[in-house]
Amino acid sequence: METSTLLSGSNVFDFIRGPLAWISFIVFFLGLIYQTYRFFSYTKKNPHVIYNPRPRKKITGDSVQNFFKKAKLSVIGINPVMIIVTTVFHLCLVITPLFLLAHNILLKNAIGFSLFSLSERFVDYLTIILIACGLFFLFRRIFVLRVRAITDWYDYFILFLATAPFITGFLAYHQIFSEHYRLIIALHILAGELMLMAVPFTKFVHMVFFFVFRFVIESEYSLGKGDRTW
Amino acid sequence: MAKINTAGVDTERVKERLDEHKTKMKLSLKACAHCTLCAESCFLYMARDRDPKYTPSYKFINSIGLLYKQKGMVDKVTLGEIRDNVWERCALCTRCYCPLGINIPEMLALARSICREQGVYPRYDRE
Repeated sequence: METSTLLSGSNVFDFIRGPLAWISFIVFFLGLIYQTYRFFSYTKKNPHVIYNPRPRKKITGDSVQNFFKKAKLSVIGINPVMIIVTTVFHLCLVITPLFLLAHNILLKNAIGFSLFSLSERFVDYLTIILIACGLFFLFRRIFVLRVRAITDWYDYFILFLATAPFITGFLAYHQIFSEHYRLIIALHILAGELMLMAVPFTKFVHMVFFFVFRFVIESEYSLGKGDRTW
Repeated sequence: MAKINTAGVDTERVKERLDEHKTKMKLSLKACAHCTLCAESCFLYMARDRDPKYTPSYKFINSIGLLYKQKGMVDKVTLGEIRDNVWERCALCTRCYCPLGINIPEMLALARSICREQGVYPRYDRE
């Protein structure tokens, strides 16, 4: 049997859009809880850390100027394009699937609750922006020497896994390859589920570790309390 | 797969050292998104015409990452390559900045310590 027929065949299709979706949600949430628990079990509170948050100052012309001066010297000023692209990419990655009308209708049908939905056209733009950011990362991996030096097949695979749900979603929404619509939508659901299940156990876990390393662990560059140590 | 000639390397001890720091090391390697935003924070990278081998993440992946990947089963040649990454290409000035918060200097210091234990370190009196 051909793969396309196999995926869009009713039994497999029903499994992908039914039980597998629930499995992927469960794996995603339990995996994130497990990783967070694991982190806390391997670290301990450092009583010697004295946390003195800076007093809040009124925003004045000088403070804004100072902020931009500091930003210019930071990673934002040194790699502005990458910082903007990566921020936009990550925002789109979260906003697009959560506030998509079609997803919210499915959610409402399944559990009787849904989030608000953005206009379909706007979400479509976000998808295009996300795919463009993905292409930027891909070209960066191929053409920027220092990135290529530490890139292996796994990085390309992770990038593919992150963008595949959006590429297939775009194809499905615009009914490109409409004669294979059922296959495309099956691939879209499958890609989304695989991505969700991969989050706690692959490099995607930086979704959790970013907050852990930057806010909780003691470090010179800590953005938060940073009062835990290994 | 070709068998690694581990002669002269106490692989059990290397493994032991890695196990002592396993969680931190594993989480740090997993968290690294290979973005290379740390590059410009390394003065040696900037001073060496932006040679990719001086990128902090390159040094981190090709030292402690390599040891972890090989589970400590490394030969002297590999340890020599690690030595180049953690000594010749790093002053351990601790100024490297990772946007994800990975403590790169600590990882490089660990790699140095493992190499030193195995007798692989710069011998300025001989070289």
